[in-house]
Amino acid sequence: MDVVPASVGRASRGWDEQHLDVQAAAGQIAQATTSGFTAAVAGPAARFVRAWERHVDALGLGCEGQADGLRTTIRDYVESDEAVGADYLALLPYLTEVR
Amino acid sequence: MVSLPSRPSAVPALDVQPASIRACGSTLLAASAQIDDVGTFVAGDARIADWTTSQGSTAYHRGIRPIGRRADAMSLALRGVAQRVDRHADEMAALVVEHDDLDDRRLHLAQQVAFLETRAGGALTPEALVALEDDCVRVGGYVAVFESDLRRWSSAVAAEEQAMNDAFGRVLHLDAVDRIYGGVADPADAALDAKPPAGASPEEVNAWWDGLTRAEQQAIIAAAPGAIGNLDGIPAGVRDQANTVALERDLADWENVEQLGLITDEERTWLENARAAHDARQEIEDRVDPITGLPIETQLYLYDPAAFDGDGAIGISAGDLDTADNVAVLTPGFGTDAESAPYQADRAATMYESTRFLDPDASNATLFWIGYDAPDNAPWDEGWDGAGVISEQMATAGGERLADAIDGLRASRDGEPAHLTAIGHSYGSTTTGHAAHDHGLPVDDLVFVGSPGVGGDTDHASDTGVDPEHVWAGANSRDPVTYLANHGWFNLETFAGAGLGDDPAEDDFGGNRFEAESTTRGPGPDFGQHSLYFDHDTESLYNISQIVNGDYDDVLTAGHNYDPWYAGVQDPELDREPTTQATR
Repeated sequence: MDVVPASVGRASRGWDEQHLDVQAAAGQIAQATTSGFTAAVAGPAARFVRAWERHVDALGLGCEGQADGLRTTIRDYVESDEAVGADYLALLPYLTEVR
Repeated sequence: MVSLPSRPSAVPALDVQPASIRACGSTLLAASAQIDDVGTFVAGDARIADWTTSQGSTAYHRGIRPIGRRADAMSLALRGVAQRVDRHADEMAALVVEHDDLDDRRLHLAQQVAFLETRAGGALTPEALVALEDDCVRVGGYVAVFESDLRRWSSAVAAEEQAMNDAFGRVLHLDAVDRIYGGVADPADAALDAKPPAGASPEEVNAWWDGLTRAEQQAIIAAAPGAIGNLDGIPAGVRDQANTVALERDLADWENVEQLGLITDEERTWLENARAAHDARQEIEDRVDPITGLPIETQLYLYDPAAFDGDGAIGISAGDLDTADNVAVLTPGFGTDAESAPYQADRAATMYESTRFLDPDASNATLFWIGYDAPDNAPWDEGWDGAGVISEQMATAGGERLADAIDGLRASRDGEPAHLTAIGHSYGSTTTGHAAHDHGLPVDDLVFVGSPGVGGDTDHASDTGVDPEHVWAGANSRDPVTYLANHGWFNLETFAGAGLGDDPAEDDFGGNRFEAESTTRGPGPDFGQHSLYFDHDTESLYNISQIVNGDYDDVLTAGHNYDPWYAGVQDPELDREPTTQATR
């Protein structure tokens, strides 16, 4: 098994942050008010908002998936016999999702 | 038989709220900025440079590429819709104006037709009949033009609605987003590559900005608001748009993690600062221009919630800094940080109201500028903070930032330069004094109010670099903070090199002093008097407003403080009866 550097752990945290930020963006879109449009536009506007909340939510889950994938890689490495010394210690903090 | 004109058709109701539409566009734009950040992350920090040899690494790097590409495409698509929504708001606002105009015309024409009908129903002489026929032809012509305008307006409404719906429908599904925007370069990227480096002058920044296409400018506002929101030389209206995107994005981010119970202490501080910026803007927008009756326009000119170790930096103007005839920059002092923004916004709005009230023909903008690290404590509330308040260190650093900010304001305006006044209150006057003395301020007038001293190296108004005729001081005789300034030839500065500099209201200083007493004053010193300079109907606000408006003849001047060798400081304002001066 190849060495997994601590930078993999940092990247997993980065993906977690992206997930949270994109989740916030999905929330923003969900809250976008469409009541100011004329009746002819309000329907398409509301449909757009609903669809894009889903699209952005899915993007956020994609980010979270990357974070989880990297954590799995770290876990596999840490649990293997090849992780020793400094590598092992550097990776330990990244085994759990902080946020 | 007279041929009467037909009655004008009713104008269909137009139930639309452009401000609400604009808010929707603004929300979508902020979300697009967030999504753009994913693309940036994938292209940068998500790549793990020292993890390249394993299968896992290859799979990972291959797997993130589609996410980045998807995020970039989604960001461009959402930005396009957001900008179309914003344009829709403008178009609908114009159509509402046209609607109201058509409605007025219809009412007027209906009255004319009704009058003609009444005339036709009565007995008519031959001459009266001829006159009636002429009037019918004339009014009939007006009705025909009205009907044509009404049809054109109805078509314009329908066309605009269709265009908006098309924009929504075009990128409703992700396959369309990928097809239209997948792999498309963001116009912001190349434009940002040409951005002048850090340290460039506001003039260089302004020239770069002016050289961009509108599409590039709009792309940068949406994709990289942080790159221009606080950049001196960028027009105030553009900074406002960029900082609004950043503020909305930050509020969404940090409120999300707060809701999830994951917010860090640092983020909580930033969130409080962001909320303060939001509330401050609302404070101004909830008030109306005293002449037009319309809500006061705001510009979020400076927004950095993490600045100064979390104290934050916020500057918001009441009025349009890009076009106002008279611009005032108000620098506050003791106890100021981002969380005090709503309080400072009240002052800025009050000054805006006052300047407009006193000169309705001039346009005005007042910017409150929390752009430096001010002493955190108000000494009368929390005790003296020797490290901050009684040294000039923070004023010196703040002065440099203030000078840059004012240079930026000057450089970013097109056309006629504004009549520009820098106003420093409390420790902010020390900061303003340093800005003027140390760096030179391209202002027309310099106003110090409630000053504890304007900096140790400024012994005379002429040391500010501004014509002493245009250097002003307001000092309430009961305001103890003004007592801190050095007076006469023997003072803290001569004794121990201490203090914050000379009293700008003293005769030796060589500037003008204006009346700044309050009708609420008591017999003795009162720290409460230090906070009244910007209150409505005070001598102080009246005089500051006249200076800001350039109406110098209307300024009520006061006798200077003086410090004879044989006695303490003498203030001729001590015994004068304070007056009320209408400012609203």
